[in-house]
Amino acid sequence: MSSSLAPATQGATWRGSSLYTQIMVLTGRSLRSVLLDPKNLLFTLLTPLMMLLLFSQVFSNVANTPGFPKGVSYINFLMPATLVTTALSAAMTAGVGFVNDLRNGVLARFRALPINGGSILAARSLADLVRSAVQLIIMIVAAVAVFGFTPKGFGVAGALLLALIVGWGLGWLFLAVATWMRNPETLQMFTFLAMFPLMFGSSAYMPLDGLPGWMQFVATVNPLTYAIDASRELTLQGTISSTAFTSIGISLVIAAGGMVFAAKGFRRQ
Amino acid sequence: MTELMIDAVRITKKFGKMTALDGVDLSVPKGTVMGLLGHNGAGKTTLVNILSTLTTATSGTARVAGYDVLTHGHDVRGRIGLTGQFASVDEQITGLDNLVLIARLLGASPKQARRRAEELLTVFDLTAAGGRKAQTYSGGMRRRLDLAASLVGHPDVIFLDEPTTGLDPSSRNSLWEIVERLVREGTTVLLTTQYLEEADRLADRITVLASGRIVAAGTADQLKGDIGTRTIMLTLAHPGDVTVAMDALKRAGLHPSHDVTRRKISSPAVASTDLILAVRALDRAGVMVTELGISEPSLDDVYLALNHDPKTDADNANAVTQIIKAISAA
Ligand SMILES: Nc1ncnc2c1ncn2[C@@H]1O[C@H](COP(=O)(O)OP(=O)(O)OP(=O)(O)O)[C@@H](O)[C@H]1O
Ligand SMILES: [Mg+2]
Repeated sequence: MSSSLAPATQGATWRGSSLYTQIMVLTGRSLRSVLLDPKNLLFTLLTPLMMLLLFSQVFSNVANTPGFPKGVSYINFLMPATLVTTALSAAMTAGVGFVNDLRNGVLARFRALPINGGSILAARSLADLVRSAVQLIIMIVAAVAVFGFTPKGFGVAGALLLALIVGWGLGWLFLAVATWMRNPETLQMFTFLAMFPLMFGSSAYMPLDGLPGWMQFVATVNPLTYAIDASRELTLQGTISSTAFTSIGISLVIAAGGMVFAAKGFRRQ
Repeated sequence: MTELMIDAVRITKKFGKMTALDGVDLSVPKGTVMGLLGHNGAGKTTLVNILSTLTTATSGTARVAGYDVLTHGHDVRGRIGLTGQFASVDEQITGLDNLVLIARLLGASPKQARRRAEELLTVFDLTAAGGRKAQTYSGGMRRRLDLAASLVGHPDVIFLDEPTTGLDPSSRNSLWEIVERLVREGTTVLLTTQYLEEADRLADRITVLASGRIVAAGTADQLKGDIGTRTIMLTLAHPGDVTVAMDALKRAGLHPSHDVTRRKISSPAVASTDLILAVRALDRAGVMVTELGISEPSLDDVYLALNHDPKTDADNANAVTQIIKAISAA
């Protein structure tokens, strides 16, 4: 009988792995569960396409509202914003995986292993980043091929990168919230409530001038507005301005705050 | 003196005003099994969580595998395996991947991880299901995968929190065999259970916990000796024999009582010869029996013998039954 159960003698055991390995292995595990779940995979890939289809059909008349940039088709107006809002929806699910792990005991298993709690959180964030990147790339390709999206040069690559950074930053916020709320239902409620002002109280679907007064105010303090405006500049004009750096700055601040609170929430028992 | 793999001193844990553990001492020598016995809410899981570094104690100190759980948590975690009360496997990935994942996190190379995972799947009779998502596993299979996952790193100490609750008798038996094999190979085990029978079978020593305090400790035989309520149970072939049988047993010096159907008779077995006395007496009286045996004392008997009031625990159980009834009625 191979003595496969017993405690290993003299140093033959594994007592821990590097932070890098931990993050990579855990990220791989999260992504694998998406890949292995056809429903999840389909949902991940179809959501952005549905969004595009829906908004381009429903809101195409917005192109006739006052203040709408002249000579811009609605899809070209919509697409840069949809990149950002799709990244936001991915960010909002960052906490879901964490809470599920907590629920089904996987987190307890991890916490009894000689690994760093930070790598569990970092892996979640990284897996969502990868997922989000795949979603956005599919979306850009589909928008160009099917919906007549005509980005100006390679600015769209910059917009993609910007959307990923913003989504990554906000993802930490939602992850932090998850480590404190720890309950799928309350988390979902929070996410739902947070989504509306973030998405619609922004310049995503209408030019600011087309929004009612109080919504204009919400939109001007909404970090997404900066990201969306910068994304439009990048895709429509192929230029980058301070708006882009402002939104990156805001995202980094949100990410840093999120990390601190997530780490705190994680250690809480 | 033998090396202590678990050495907990005056562990107290409070959740707000509620005291879950109250000055618990526990020491487990290397290569032995400690059975932690107690009803719902006794504090078993809380103690396991403290020893496996998932929770910190309010006061008291504990060393596991030679390391302080508070100051050297990382070293402790590298030497323990934990099978929690509720299975904790990633349902979204395959059984094999679950084990590979743990091995990789412990520092195994991809190749080593795979070899170890396959080895454990074989031991736990899961090879055929290894490629399936854990979601599709039965409760027993999930339990086995869970246990396998806690053995990936060749732990020195393993914590099993009610490992057989919800298992069928054959799964229970094979789990017991695995635990026995682990111990033969040198692993130290802390096992919590609500079944005296399980503790009796596996544990070298037993600690009985009630409402966060240790109420008894010793070997299974010592505990049973203290309790002394093994019972002779017999079933009569003809209910009409009940008076004859009762008289015969009383004349043999026993203290029998019978149930309402007048078929089953039970009698406390105080001395080890009581069973033989009973058989002789019945034979001489010409009474036929269809069943005859000795039942071991239950956890309830232990509690009763220790003058602990299991009422609060029984209340809990009642509450749960009520809830289940309400749910199934709805
Ligand atoms: N996180 C917590 N917050 C508040 N009270 C808790 C917490 N965890 C446990 N308790 C309380 O501590 C007591 C001991 O709980 P514990 O889970 O250790 O019992 P147990 O012996 O494992 O019971 P069971 O057989 O039901 O698993 C219980 O009264 C429980 O309600
Ligand atoms: Mg418990």
